Amino acid sequence: MNTYNQNYYSNMYMEDMNNMNNITNLYNMSNMNDMNNVKNMTKGVNNNNNFNKCNYVQEVKPTELYNSYEGFIRGNMYPDLYNQYKVSKPFDVEPMNEQAQLLTYVDAYSFGAHDINLYLDTHPDDKAMIDLYNQYRMESENAIKQYEDKFGPLFVSSEATLTYPWSWNNSPWPWENR
Amino acid sequence: MWKYEKKLQYPVNIRNKDLKLAKYIITQYGGPAGELAAAWQYLDQRYTMPDDRGKALLTDIGTEELAHVEIISAMLFQLMEGASVEELKQAGLGEHYAQFGRDLYPADAFGNPFTMTHIKLAGDPIANIESNMGAEQRARATYEHLMDLTNDPDVLAPLAFLREREIVHYQRFKELRDYYLEKKM
Repeated sequence: MNTYNQNYYSNMYMEDMNNMNNITNLYNMSNMNDMNNVKNMTKGVNNNNNFNKCNYVQEVKPTELYNSYEGFIRGNMYPDLYNQYKVSKPFDVEPMNEQAQLLTYVDAYSFGAHDINLYLDTHPDDKAMIDLYNQYRMESENAIKQYEDKFGPLFVSSEATLTYPWSWNNSPWPWENR
Repeated sequence: MWKYEKKLQYPVNIRNKDLKLAKYIITQYGGPAGELAAAWQYLDQRYTMPDDRGKALLTDIGTEELAHVEIISAMLFQLMEGASVEELKQAGLGEHYAQFGRDLYPADAFGNPFTMTHIKLAGDPIANIESNMGAEQRARATYEHLMDLTNDPDVLAPLAFLREREIVHYQRFKELRDYYLEKKM
């Protein structure tokens, strides 16, 4: 079906993502957009259903992270913390139109920033992760701007409300099936 | 204060209505291990956390749980969308229709209304964080039970996402508890 187009995703933000690679190199990912690397990276990840086996201890910093899209579809940015239940692999997001596709970029970058945000709450001295947080935060802001330019405001405080008539109340609402 | 983002944290697009499943999934809205209980438990606890780490973590995870309430609500809405009154009756949702029509209502899988007695507070940071660790584990188990009850990929995808968030939250609460134990806070 209309499988999520990873190449489109990659090309769109290639420049920004290349900048981001400088930071992710710290976490042994040579190229964030290279699906093979993601596969290699996930080798040895504990995929059984035993929840208790997936703890890492506080003192050990994560050695690698998924890229934001791979983390987003898993609901988890950390390979050493990830395990799955019932399904053999994570579900790709399958946007049905351009609007859903642009929203997926927002979703993925925001998720990457948010999951690192929670990590930083308990590891406030991890400088590399603070840098990575800020990279994802900026990517997320770019993706929000790109979405809002075309499809209207995601935040009532955004510039995209400079329209006549008022555009904040336009469909679709988040809970509506697309 | 809070700001609304006009999007879900994870997309929900369910093609096939499934009223029986809605009746089960509702427990993650208003049930004992549900998202509403988790959100309020963490947000109530944050005021008395002994340091900034705890205040930040409980604020941020509590806020994320509110986004999960919205994901579960979207799932319930879409699973019930377009159902006839007869279909609702047959699926055991006649009582729901009688009282609430087609509105969402936070309840558990038995139809018991949401109650604040689901939330666990003890006025003690270690006791509070450990009840949060328990809440995350109970929610993870409930998501696994819900995943056992369906094979619809449109439903499994958001359930798998939400289950995984419980695992990450558990880890962060555990780190906070270990830190407080170490610092004797």
